[in-house]
Amino acid sequence: MAAAPEPGEPGKGKPFKLLGILDVENIPCAWDSILYGSLGSVVAGLGHFLLTSRIRRSCEVGVGGFIMVTLGCWFHCRYNYAKLRIQERLAREGIKNKIFYESTHLDPARKQTNGGSSSN
Amino acid sequence: MAYPMQLGFQDATSPIMEELLHFHDHTLMIVFLISSLVLYIISLMLTTKLTHTSTMDAQEIETIWTILPAIILILIALPSLRILYMMDEINNPSLTVKTMGHQWYWSYEYTDYEDLNFDSYMIPTSELKPGELRLLEVDNRVVLPMEMTIRMLISSEDVLHSWAVPSLGLKTDAIPGRLNQTTLMSTRPGLYYGQ
Repeated sequence: MAAAPEPGEPGKGKPFKLLGILDVENIPCAWDSILYGSLGSVVAGLGHFLLTSRIRRSCEVGVGGFIMVTLGCWFHCRYNYAKLRIQERLAREGIKNKIFYESTHLDPARKQTNGGSSSN
Repeated sequence: MAYPMQLGFQDATSPIMEELLHFHDHTLMIVFLISSLVLYIISLMLTTKLTHTSTMDAQEIETIWTILPAIILILIALPSLRILYMMDEINNPSLTVKTMGHQWYWSYEYTDYEDLNFDSYMIPTSELKPGELRLLEVDNRVVLPMEMTIRMLISSEDVLHSWAVPSLGLKTDAIPGRLNQTTLMSTRPGLYYGQ
């Protein structure tokens, strides 16, 4: 749910949506993917035109480049984001277990110490 | 809770809803790219003076527009099936709550430890206090522990109802004569609304 703006803070207003459907502000990796895709589109289209001087085909190469670069950046970024979320979850659970079980026989730090001393 | 003119999902409160949000982002990006391509093609069609009245075949483009949609559908279907099976995982609930739909209230039963039954009626609009939400507030709320897997058994005493909590990613039909089961786990404390 969107939080109401505090008094004195400017309101965020409606989120900006590309083509009316893609909320690039709030979806992780969306804005970066679209920006890299736009850059890739310009590079591909311009490069093709400089090489071949064909306008129509260069526009099509630009559109194709936009789609491919956006998709590639999107999958790469979302994969890394998913890995980060898993690491955050493991860290959060580790902190919670440490707080819950400190000074008990289930203390994760005590288990590691016992494992180390038993190997000596 | 929902806010006025909302189009997107509510913030996720359960791991399943987080997965659903990410799947929605993934599918929406694919939809956005397809829409961009279609818009571009439409603009090309509308701005060309070229015509070709003797086209006999177009093997290459037909191959592309057969294989590419199949690949796109596979890219959408694989995460979808993953979440579908994730929803049905066996997870040993710690608590069972039964809910029965009536016209027009819900009744809840907590019978694991002691018998606790109560009815939950919607607060009429004329009786709302300032700050309360229209059509969402009830007199007796369902209180559930967080970070525990809870089994909900849902049925109905009269007609079809549906028990839904959007931020948990839950919607299960309450069908008279049938017992439906769903499991939920809330990852954070809070007040979550559903209808």
